[in-house]
Amino acid sequence: MVPPSHRSAQPSSDFEELPSEPRRHPIVWVVYAVLYALAIPWYWPDGYRGPLVLGLPTWVAVTAGSVVLLGIWTCFVIRRYWQDEFQDEVGP
Amino acid sequence: MSGGVSFGSGALVVVGLYLLSMIGIGWLGRRHRKDDSLSDFYLAGRAMGFGVLFLTLYATQYSGNTLFGYTGRSYHIGFAWTVSILFMFSIIVGYLLFAPRLVRVARSHAFITPGDYIQHRFTSRGLTLLATVLMIYALGNYTLAQLKAMGAAVEGITDGAVPSAYGIVALAIIMVIYETLGGMRSVAWTDVIQGVVLLVGFSILLFVIPGLGGGLGSVVEKLSKMEPKMSGVPSLETCNTWISYIFLLGCGAAIYPQAIQRLYAARSVPVLKRSLSVMAFMPLTTTFIALLCGVTGAVVLPGLEGVESDQVLARLCALVMSTSVLGYWLVVVVFAAALAALMSTADSALLSISSMFTRDIYQAHLRPQSSQAELTLVGKVVSWVVVVVLVAIAIVTDKTLVRLLELKFEVLIQIVPCFFLGLYWKRLSTAVVTTGMLVGLVVGLGFTLAGQTRVLGFHAGVVGLFANFGVCALGVWLRPVAEGGNR
Repeated sequence: MVPPSHRSAQPSSDFEELPSEPRRHPIVWVVYAVLYALAIPWYWPDGYRGPLVLGLPTWVAVTAGSVVLLGIWTCFVIRRYWQDEFQDEVGP
Repeated sequence: MSGGVSFGSGALVVVGLYLLSMIGIGWLGRRHRKDDSLSDFYLAGRAMGFGVLFLTLYATQYSGNTLFGYTGRSYHIGFAWTVSILFMFSIIVGYLLFAPRLVRVARSHAFITPGDYIQHRFTSRGLTLLATVLMIYALGNYTLAQLKAMGAAVEGITDGAVPSAYGIVALAIIMVIYETLGGMRSVAWTDVIQGVVLLVGFSILLFVIPGLGGGLGSVVEKLSKMEPKMSGVPSLETCNTWISYIFLLGCGAAIYPQAIQRLYAARSVPVLKRSLSVMAFMPLTTTFIALLCGVTGAVVLPGLEGVESDQVLARLCALVMSTSVLGYWLVVVVFAAALAALMSTADSALLSISSMFTRDIYQAHLRPQSSQAELTLVGKVVSWVVVVVLVAIAIVTDKTLVRLLELKFEVLIQIVPCFFLGLYWKRLSTAVVTTGMLVGLVVGLGFTLAGQTRVLGFHAGVVGLFANFGVCALGVWLRPVAEGGNR
């Protein structure tokens, strides 16, 4: 005998769309792509340091700033684009 | 934390009391248990609120490696390790790719382990067993690394008076006691304390370590003169490695079984969303500070090589200790933070191993008719057995671990398509996802064991994952639409 949750269920119902989730919104990933492109230092000259910004090399400050923007964008995405009908407080 | 830090008896008593308080919290966790079910033991009754969930996610995600390994890495390569902020952030983006759907399905079907989802989605006991074995293997290696670091830390603060092996045994016993007392509830509650201590420890590091080099600006100026490459923009190939790290951690760490179980354990979706929102900023308070400590070490303590470079943080702390009584006690807090980082990660991984063995192997294949109380008891016994085995391995293996014991992400990451694709691609069949997993493993492990850990800057495991995704995409594309649905 197989335990209850190890038996076959009805997976097809699991594919029902949520009211909204980040994966379905192209704008979410376009903004992520832009911010990641800003964070990865591919566009600077090799070996460049630049003037210090808050004690950091320019490119490091830009990367750290990009991570802050990525964090802010993520908060917005979670709030705006992750909508689930199971919003109630469900206990055990 | 070996390599220069040794505490007096007062500090050792404080650290000892801190550790014993973990057992007290474990006992409190036991007192608050609702029943003897697996759900209560492994998911704290699915009732975690924001404070506990956020701090247990934080303390579990940031391990001893963040403190010691990342400072050592930035000591060697300088600001090129800024990638660590980005890849730790990317774990949250990884969650966004599958967590909304997984959480809903998990709540509908009362999943306890990642294996529960895989079995439910693909209805294949073979695939579930394969994925479970891979996850246990990866987590075993992860826990092993934490245990070895615990031993080194204890040996360091006692100036060698307590050998590493005794340190490993003592801390492992404390950990497994509080874990088996109350399961996830105890682990999460200790994580609250450990998470706070970790945050305080990193804050102290931010304020005292760069000061050893005359302040951050001065450190960077000196570093630029000593080793211009360490403060300069990395090469394009290194940028490829950054992208690879983003994939490796963004996908791999997001599906760590202990992380997935915390998604299951949230009291509600809003609580989970709030916790993940705050987690998005935590790399700036953690890995970023480890980076600054590492580059300060490169200026203040140049010339450390090999294993010694992982001790750079301990040596910097020794310098802080020698400055004043305040400095001494600040380092005691930092050491407590180090133990917190190590134990909070190891206990969560251990609990996850126990749950997967009990649920996905013992109940699924050996005794399906077991009662919940029997399964919970088996889970506790498994925790003790796993700890004994891992402690023995940690003690007998030296610092140059065989490569097989270091593999984790290369293996774990091959399970990613089960979640990232399986939740959304209805036509992804069991045969295809299994084939993809095996191809990914062969490619990733093949390159790694052949000594080629990177290919054009990309990690071998990530190359394996690309092959894995390719197989899944091809399999779905070739499958006629009329046959859509799950086998």
